Amino acid sequence: MMTAMLLSSPDLAKYPFTPEARAYITGLNLSVTELVDPDYGEILLRAEQRIEEALLDGEVKWRGDPYYDIEALSYPVAIMLVASIDDEFLGRRYALAEAKRADTLFRREPDARRLLDIARSAFKWRVEALVDEASPSYEYALHFGDYLRNASKLRSDPWKLVNRLMIKGRVYLKRDELARLLSEEVQHHVHATIASSPKIVVPPLLLPRISRITEILAERRERTRWEELPAKTVAAAYPPCIKRLYDALLAGRHLSHVGRFLLHVGVDTEELIRLYTSVSDFDERLTRYQTEHIAGMKGSGTKYLPPNCDTLKTHGLCPGPDEVCQTIRHPLSYYRTKIRLIRRGHAVAERA
Amino acid sequence: MQNEREAGVDFVEKKFAEYYAGASAFLSPPSGFLQREFGFIPFTGKIMIRHKGFRAPDDLMAFLASLSPAHAYYSAAYYDDPEAPMAKKGWRGSDLIFDIDSDHLPTACTRPHDYWICEDCATGTTQSIHGTCPHCGGSRLRTEFWLCDTCLALAKAEALKLLDFLMDDFGFQNQDIQTCFSGHRGYHVHVASEGVQSLDQGARKEITDYLLGTGLSLPSHGLPQTRRAAEWRATSPTLADAGWRGRIAKGVYDVLLSATPQQLEALAGLSKAIAGHVITNRDRILVDDGASGLWGAVPGVGPKTWEALALTGVQRQAALIDPVVTMDVHRLIRLPRSLHGKTGLQVVPLPVSALEKFDPLQEAIAFPEGRVDVYVADAPAFRLGNAVYGPYRRERVELPMAAGVYLLCKRAAADPQLPP
Repeated sequence: MMTAMLLSSPDLAKYPFTPEARAYITGLNLSVTELVDPDYGEILLRAEQRIEEALLDGEVKWRGDPYYDIEALSYPVAIMLVASIDDEFLGRRYALAEAKRADTLFRREPDARRLLDIARSAFKWRVEALVDEASPSYEYALHFGDYLRNASKLRSDPWKLVNRLMIKGRVYLKRDELARLLSEEVQHHVHATIASSPKIVVPPLLLPRISRITEILAERRERTRWEELPAKTVAAAYPPCIKRLYDALLAGRHLSHVGRFLLHVGVDTEELIRLYTSVSDFDERLTRYQTEHIAGMKGSGTKYLPPNCDTLKTHGLCPGPDEVCQTIRHPLSYYRTKIRLIRRGHAVAERA
Repeated sequence: MQNEREAGVDFVEKKFAEYYAGASAFLSPPSGFLQREFGFIPFTGKIMIRHKGFRAPDDLMAFLASLSPAHAYYSAAYYDDPEAPMAKKGWRGSDLIFDIDSDHLPTACTRPHDYWICEDCATGTTQSIHGTCPHCGGSRLRTEFWLCDTCLALAKAEALKLLDFLMDDFGFQNQDIQTCFSGHRGYHVHVASEGVQSLDQGARKEITDYLLGTGLSLPSHGLPQTRRAAEWRATSPTLADAGWRGRIAKGVYDVLLSATPQQLEALAGLSKAIAGHVITNRDRILVDDGASGLWGAVPGVGPKTWEALALTGVQRQAALIDPVVTMDVHRLIRLPRSLHGKTGLQVVPLPVSALEKFDPLQEAIAFPEGRVDVYVADAPAFRLGNAVYGPYRRERVELPMAAGVYLLCKRAAADPQLPP
């Protein structure tokens, strides 16, 4: 009776991470061994597809009517498969793709109360809907603690707390903003669910599916790696902080300790030594040692990474952010993003 | 010379021990006592004893009385095992804490605070010294910071701004907030409510940015950059606005009402002509709010100028906390009612309502009784309680206990039992 009612609800399919959905699925008392039963073939297939979509498209798709029960049940199965493959890259990517799916559905949700229910029941958010409030452009007020837990990871200016309207501990939000924050929470939740899932012994019949996913994963990882960084450093992609130091060195100006460090970790070793050669007070042996030490080739073998943007700001090394800086919090991410932009630019230019 | 100073330290250490022996009557242990880490800096050795945990408040009291430390701290954090090494403590959360230190505030106070003392010949001076003592040429110089009413008042003003933010914007209640005079140059504010304990470093950074106005963008507060006069005037902030928008209005009023044209030029980077024009017409701003709003108040003053004034207003309204302290989720902070080893003053916990009238140089006195004979090498005039003492130079004086202990803590004086 109960089951029939719940099954008819598309909400379980849309939001399979909610406690209601979890309770429903637990109530079915499915076991791993049953999954290979042909009756569950569709569910297993969809679970595999969810992971595939996560890897290839970065977003799990929403299939509406009449697939509700398959949608709801394939989610925990997918989590189980991802957990059993036990790969950090896959785990992160899957969590992100489920979060994107949720974000899309939150925004489309016809019943605004639904978002509120999910925020409260699934994530214990202290949130309320605003009725007849002085600020008509806002629909929700969220406790700053819940806001910060999710928004402090979002980089753009409007998400900074200092740029929000906050009254008596409540941050005022528009609907899209609440949806965005909720999907951040979904991402943490999915990631945590994967991490805490028991590593099951996979039934032999499932092994071919697992190995298919692992193959896609390997391809995907290869592609990401290739995309990541070209072999030679591309000076045009340096973030403004590195660029300024690089130019300063080219002009023969003295660099501060932290400045040197930042440049050393930001720029290719050979390139740096060549650069230093053009500066007057240059001792090649010493420079080479320092440079290679920081690069992890000498000394303790620790490969140092540049400090993050916040630290650079504290040391007065941030010359002021540009557009790309708004989306990152670490100079290396700038480099990666910029390279992608440059490549995209080239691709467009070649096609034109 | 060295022995003499150590003798002075002995005296202070003894007085601190007496204080702590009777402290259980008024030193209440911090909440979550069993989960807190404690740290102490003794008078001798200077190395912090930390990773201490106590099973009962009585154990802490006994420890304080027997060690008689110069400085006593406890962790803002809660741990499963406070005595374990840092990585194994099991962090369970942390109070939200704020530190306001007058040393970090831009001060209008012209009194010299840095005071140099030569360790070799005990000459002291407020002149800035470059490397060596002007008297004996010795290089073992030490700086001391003298407490000053002006600077302590500045720190208090920042603390009051902070409390305003915490209650109006963050919604904390009086009972969630404990303010403490630090016993030296400033104030600490603790928020121990459960809602803040799990905040991570990133979240705490956002809170410090909020208080400091760091990264504030005017368009996000409905103050867009537009050249269309009517559209732009309609966006003018008012004193009644909530959050940062209202604070910007307050800040602009504050700047306009208190600044001279020259200050305005320097503060907001305005031209001499515009700064003069704004100040000449500032009465209109007072009268005209409500009707056409701040932005329309002075004819001939355009968006660019108001934007510069708004940003100056942000700086005025910011509560100047030390961001590093607030962001650190493992921070140790002074134990309320403990003593500060550089002054002999008490770390005084205050309810929110008591801060405004609080006089640190009176109410933080921990040794109100008795008198002491000290030999003062060199000390500028200073106030403590209702009296002003000094300046003293190479003389023997009999002082009330609090003033004597203060000079001994500053190492500007020595125990007279060992005359020079």
